[in-house]
Amino acid sequence: MRPLAVVGVAAVAVGFLVAVDRGLAGALDLSFVVVTLVGILGVLQGVRYASARRGRERRSTDLGEPERRERAAVPGADFDATVSRAVSARRRWGRTARDDVRSRVREAAIRAVARERSCSAERAAELLEEGEWTDDRTAAAFLSRSISYPIRDQILGGLPGRSAFRNGVTAAVDALERATAGIDAGAAGDDERAVDERKTTTDRSGGNR
Amino acid sequence: MTTVERALDHRRNGDRDDERVDGRDDDRDRDDERDGDGDRGNSAPTDRRALDAFDTERWVGVTGVALALVGVGVALRQPAMVVAGAAAIGYGLYARLGEAGEAALALDREVSDRTPDPGDEVTVTVRARNVGDAPRFDLRIVDGVPPGLEVVDGPARVATALRPGAGVAFSYVVRASRGVHEWGTTRAVVRNASGSRERLTELETPTRLTCTPELATGGDLPLRGLTTVSHGRVPTDVGGSGVEFHATREYRRGDPLKRVDWNRRARTGELATLELREERSATVVLLVDAREEAYVAERPDADTAVEASVEAAGAVFTALLAGGDRVGIATMGPRDCWLPPGAGTDHAVRGRETLATDPALAPTPADDRFYRTLWRRRFRRRLPGDAQVLFFTPLADDVPVDAARRLDAYGHLVTVLSPDPTVSPSRSPASTTPGRKLAAIERRERIRTLRGAGIRVVEWGDRSFPAAVASASGRWSR
Repeated sequence: MRPLAVVGVAAVAVGFLVAVDRGLAGALDLSFVVVTLVGILGVLQGVRYASARRGRERRSTDLGEPERRERAAVPGADFDATVSRAVSARRRWGRTARDDVRSRVREAAIRAVARERSCSAERAAELLEEGEWTDDRTAAAFLSRSISYPIRDQILGGLPGRSAFRNGVTAAVDALERATAGIDAGAAGDDERAVDERKTTTDRSGGNR
Repeated sequence: MTTVERALDHRRNGDRDDERVDGRDDDRDRDDERDGDGDRGNSAPTDRRALDAFDTERWVGVTGVALALVGVGVALRQPAMVVAGAAAIGYGLYARLGEAGEAALALDREVSDRTPDPGDEVTVTVRARNVGDAPRFDLRIVDGVPPGLEVVDGPARVATALRPGAGVAFSYVVRASRGVHEWGTTRAVVRNASGSRERLTELETPTRLTCTPELATGGDLPLRGLTTVSHGRVPTDVGGSGVEFHATREYRRGDPLKRVDWNRRARTGELATLELREERSATVVLLVDAREEAYVAERPDADTAVEASVEAAGAVFTALLAGGDRVGIATMGPRDCWLPPGAGTDHAVRGRETLATDPALAPTPADDRFYRTLWRRRFRRRLPGDAQVLFFTPLADDVPVDAARRLDAYGHLVTVLSPDPTVSPSRSPASTTPGRKLAAIERRERIRTLRGAGIRVVEWGDRSFPAAVASASGRWSR
């Protein structure tokens, strides 16, 4: 860059000298070729400057939207975001997200299965691994290492725009919802029983009378 | 509709224009009387903080275009092109002309009602006057509307040009909602004439709007059996005077005759005395979950679970006070809030104030961190030994479950009242995402855990709180 700058400074100096003393202009070669060359040089340099605009974003202050009330978080929105990340990300980056999703569903499933079958968490984990907790094979495959997805899911999951993982999440959550719906029917009874048990412990302060 | 009025010829020495503007000044005077804050906003510049000016990159490359035009003109021997290039050079110079200065503005914000009821529409008028020496060719002002308020009419911003001494006014309408709402920083963006430089100035004009809802009634919740020694209306397992049968015992001298079991006397010849359940008053602390996790709603633009909790707590507060119980208020969250249990009219007013305006129950979550061990220790220290706890929480994570079980284990009987933020806004199953379903499943599991531990849970989603309480109390034995 240094020699170019020297040439530039020299050219400007010559320009000033010519402006001061017109006689010097006669010494310059104003032939067709030279003038055309100067013109082309100007065009090239101009295009170089102008192309600086390409790839540059206009900057301005982001003033936001103070008119809108602060948005509230929606339960489960974080989970949906993680699923989308897991599906769209590349193989390596998506792994953590996929693990997060799977472990959250698994945790909920273990609790639900343990409550529904009245068994320990370990037994519930075994049931998940064996796929015994649901009759939906896609859901069972999602939460188990030993079960593979049904052929239909594998084919559909390979199509562009479809994802076996997303399919699995949806199936597993739906299966879980069906599994827990059964427990809910007895929830009211639970409540009464629980409070009845507590009746013996009520009125602690009154006892000191 | 936004009214953007411009008082361009608003000089301070009296002429006709000034009289017109004076009419509005009267309004402002009235307003000033109300909040007792002098006649600022007339000439004194508002406190401001100007950021560094930066290039907007708007004119990048214009000199290149100029040079290219001149080059083409020279190469093709076309004087017209060279002249066109000279014009482009003019643009290049124009872009470098002038700097974006600070927005030296005197801001004045006027609110049509500083203490509105929830749902009221409040008109906010902002007046800005250029009190600097330089004209501002391109000025955008965006008002710092509090995050808890929604603008329902007109944008809270204006774009204009102001010469020194000139002013602009714009107004917008917000819908009031519970809480204390403080206006934040008003931001003014100034650009130079060509728009090549830009500078942000932040202006502080504090304005406060306090919205205190009337407490609803209808939260007549049956309390659990932990009571004080004073008489009230919570039936206990202690025999004595009351209305409901409790037990019979051997007659002792001095027992009132009307409580002698005459049937038994007739049957067996023995004297026995009827014991009735004593009814006593309770000390109740309403605990509201106000952690960031509790600020959830079924739709992003809906009221959060904290709002639902506060509304329900208000209803319960009124009902309990009316029943003669002593009621206190506390929050579980990063900010501290504690109204010790009390009774009486004064206490009712304090309770209403606390629920409406306490910063711990602000309409938007606090930025501070929540330390649950610290909170638990402080809360237990404050909680009277005979107090039972009504815990309002959406149960959006496991922390409230743990807290409720611990409090219950310490002997403060806990009832959990849970607004349900996982109900689907529309009934069609297609709109229910796996995340929402999973959140609902997890929440149901938490409720089961609580019920399994002997803690009463009332939940309400699309039903009203009183309806949920009524149906739950029917289910509960005492």
